Amino acid sequence: MREVARNPVALELLRVQRNRLADRLRPPWWYLTGSAIAWAVGFTGQFSLRYLPRVDYWATAVATTAVWLLLQWGLTRATGIKVGPRPLRVLRDGLFYYRPGRPALIAMLVVSLAVGEAQFLLIRHGLVAAAIAVAALGVAVEVALQQAWLREVRQALRDGEGAA
Amino acid sequence: MTARPDPFIHPITRLSICGLLAAGADWVEFAALRDAAGISDSVLSKQSVVLEDAGYVEVRKGAVGRRPRTWFRLTAKGRQALEDHLAWLAQLEETVSASTQDVRQAGPLPGDHDQPRRVLPPLLGSS
Repeated sequence: MREVARNPVALELLRVQRNRLADRLRPPWWYLTGSAIAWAVGFTGQFSLRYLPRVDYWATAVATTAVWLLLQWGLTRATGIKVGPRPLRVLRDGLFYYRPGRPALIAMLVVSLAVGEAQFLLIRHGLVAAAIAVAALGVAVEVALQQAWLREVRQALRDGEGAA
Repeated sequence: MTARPDPFIHPITRLSICGLLAAGADWVEFAALRDAAGISDSVLSKQSVVLEDAGYVEVRKGAVGRRPRTWFRLTAKGRQALEDHLAWLAQLEETVSASTQDVRQAGPLPGDHDQPRRVLPPLLGSS
């Protein structure tokens, strides 16, 4: 795509059109709301493990994943743009780079693991209120990271570099 | 290496379609592509058939409820053809800018100043 930058007419036309395409990838209200609910359900796993032994911990994890996949499906249908799975890194100028949006996805995974571990330790020490606060903070961070991921993908579409 | 224009991608509408599909999304839905390219339904249908027949674009048709949905994706062949065509455009642009510089450097010919300027008469009824 770098060649386009050297042709002013083609560049201008494609830039405007890519901007239009990228602007479509704005999440609707239900997407972020649904994401927040999905993460909140996911972070109740540690509480259910301790206080609701009949509820399987993995059931909450599966429910969260299912809701997240459903939200992605809905976003694809609503925006008309599908961004499929890609390799983790891309080789450019002899160096490996993370694909756009991939750092945000990795951060989401790390935060979810960190929140789960922190909740486990806090609940074991009887600090339930602190565990709830950590869960709430985790939901906020995860939703912010999800927005960052979409922002990165939008920028990649604008630049024509290839999305995550 | 001398790049050549691609006859399938050369028209600006098809260049737009391929350029948008190469932007990074895996699949782009009909309406999204139409709106981004700023073209009508019929133009997109017609041009996408040409690109599909050339093997540059893959088309997947489905439906959500009663609403038909068509999705487009650029094939590997299409991506390669687009890159080659863009390389040709870049080469063309370089050639044009180089020749423009030559003309500027050459300056006006000695006899040009003596020639009277021809002024075209205004068009009738254009006021």
